[in-house]
Amino acid sequence: MIRIENVSKDLGEFFLRDISLEIQDQEYFVILGPTGAGKSILLETLAGIFRPDTGKIFVDDREITNVPPRERNIGMVYQDYTLFPFLTVEENIGFGLKSRKMEKSTIKRKVDELTSLLGIEQLGHRYPGTLSGGEQQKVAIARAIAIEPKILLLDEPLSALDSRTRDYLREELKRVKRKFGITMVHVTHDQTEALVLADRIAVLMHGKVMQVGTPYEIFSKPQTEELADFVGIENILRGMVQRTENGVAEIEIEIHGKIRAVSEIHEGAVKVFIRPEDILLCKSKSECSARNVMGGRITDLQDIGPLTRVTLDTNLVSLITKQSRAELQLQQGDPIYATFKATSAHVVSA
Amino acid sequence: MLKELREDKVRTFSIFASLLLTAFILTLIVCIVTHTTGQALALSMLTAEIRFAIELSLLTSATSTLLCIAISIPAAYALARYEFRGKSLINTILDAPLALPPLVAGVGLLILFGTTSFGKGLAEQGLVFVFTPLGIVIAQFFVNVPFMFRILKGTFQGINPRYEHVAKTLGCTDGQAFWRVTLPMSKHGLLAGSVITWSKGIGEFGAALMLAGATRMKTETLPISLYLNMSCGELNLAIAAATILIVISLVSLFIFERYGGFAHVF
Repeated sequence: MIRIENVSKDLGEFFLRDISLEIQDQEYFVILGPTGAGKSILLETLAGIFRPDTGKIFVDDREITNVPPRERNIGMVYQDYTLFPFLTVEENIGFGLKSRKMEKSTIKRKVDELTSLLGIEQLGHRYPGTLSGGEQQKVAIARAIAIEPKILLLDEPLSALDSRTRDYLREELKRVKRKFGITMVHVTHDQTEALVLADRIAVLMHGKVMQVGTPYEIFSKPQTEELADFVGIENILRGMVQRTENGVAEIEIEIHGKIRAVSEIHEGAVKVFIRPEDILLCKSKSECSARNVMGGRITDLQDIGPLTRVTLDTNLVSLITKQSRAELQLQQGDPIYATFKATSAHVVSA
Repeated sequence: MLKELREDKVRTFSIFASLLLTAFILTLIVCIVTHTTGQALALSMLTAEIRFAIELSLLTSATSTLLCIAISIPAAYALARYEFRGKSLINTILDAPLALPPLVAGVGLLILFGTTSFGKGLAEQGLVFVFTPLGIVIAQFFVNVPFMFRILKGTFQGINPRYEHVAKTLGCTDGQAFWRVTLPMSKHGLLAGSVITWSKGIGEFGAALMLAGATRMKTETLPISLYLNMSCGELNLAIAAATILIVISLVSLFIFERYGGFAHVF
């Protein structure tokens, strides 16, 4: 288990402020945050490249705050591969083993094992400059796991790759984690990546941990408006709780009127977050099965990949499939009913 | 049409200017190497004096280049990697010998090693710099070290520190990370720096003249030999020395352009 206690680090432009985190053994832990949030420094502080200004870091109850990187048994993979350009693929992978003064034959055997595991055995004698991005990243992963680390740190490892290679390498990362039982700490700004890979996610913004939770908790139950906005919750409504009954609150919202939402907050001003994909559209009020139904007009239709983003004059945004759009024959200016379930709305105090 | 013509004029004029400059340089070189016959040149090169000058030049310039490497690697690394107080001042001072006329540098060196107690102390230990080949080495070192320093600083700055970070997670100490990763990645900069420092060292005249003097067969490097023989009318010997210097410069320039294109000297 990795335990980070109140770690702060100031590097001028980038900084960490009082970070505390616990990462379980063999967990796939993703640190999600916008550019400049301090994600890389956090990773490099874990690796021992930077020493925290204050705070402590423990691995399995052993304090490693001042232990140099070489004694931490932590592997590191960067976005830009950082393969040593003057060494062949084999020599790159064997670099850490050579540092540990292993015998040549042992190094050779381990390198062969890893290259065949990652499907790069034919690249052994090539130099990094001649490889594709995906191949280089596989070599970088092989090099990092060659030293049999307990923890593997990945700094935006998939961000420089094209989308097909990225999908493929995501699966490889999961496989590596399963096979070797390594604790993975993966930094990214890509929400899909976080959603697909993470057992748990920590959102890092302005050098601070904003929230830690499962992908569901992070993406559907963010604790602040800033977080909601960051994870793509476009519907943020403000209102007052009128009354609650069996855990369902009746909330008076400006313009929209009364809505019902599952809520732990029983009174006062609140914000209601609803993911755009949780808002369904229907042509007539009677077709709507959910408890919350709001009338409006379509002001904008925007195709984004396989989905269509529908904006209503009531400022609600809905994401529907292209198929639904065709079935409903939606046009700009059409009257429409937006509907969502009481469980799809996440209520926080304002 | 008019615009095209105007662009054409610019093109013609600028290319003409470049050709003129090329012709000027080539004429100069041809003038030197054809000033005497091939046979006379060959004979001059075999004389004891020119052979001595070649050997002394090679020895002093190689030594001063090694000195430049030894001090520039750590100094350039510090300025490329670390932040510390007075860094920009140090940066400027380390470049100063570039702007200083070599003769002035030579006077400074002469005063330092000839008149101060520091210089006298060194001389008592057997390290005599005034009017000795050792003086030539120090003069070359002082005048040329900024070239090596600047090229290496640019090279180190161009290497992402993440390479060292990865090396450290793979078991290297700071020193090993530098030795096993950063230094091999700097080999082009190191080569370019060495070539330019070495060739400038071979051609170094002003500072060496001041500190080491111009004594025939003692502190007679190729440029000193050129100077001495020109002054006493030994034209063939002078041309031989000049020709060798030209060949060394051209070869160095070629190597520098080939490997040092990325390095910033100025």
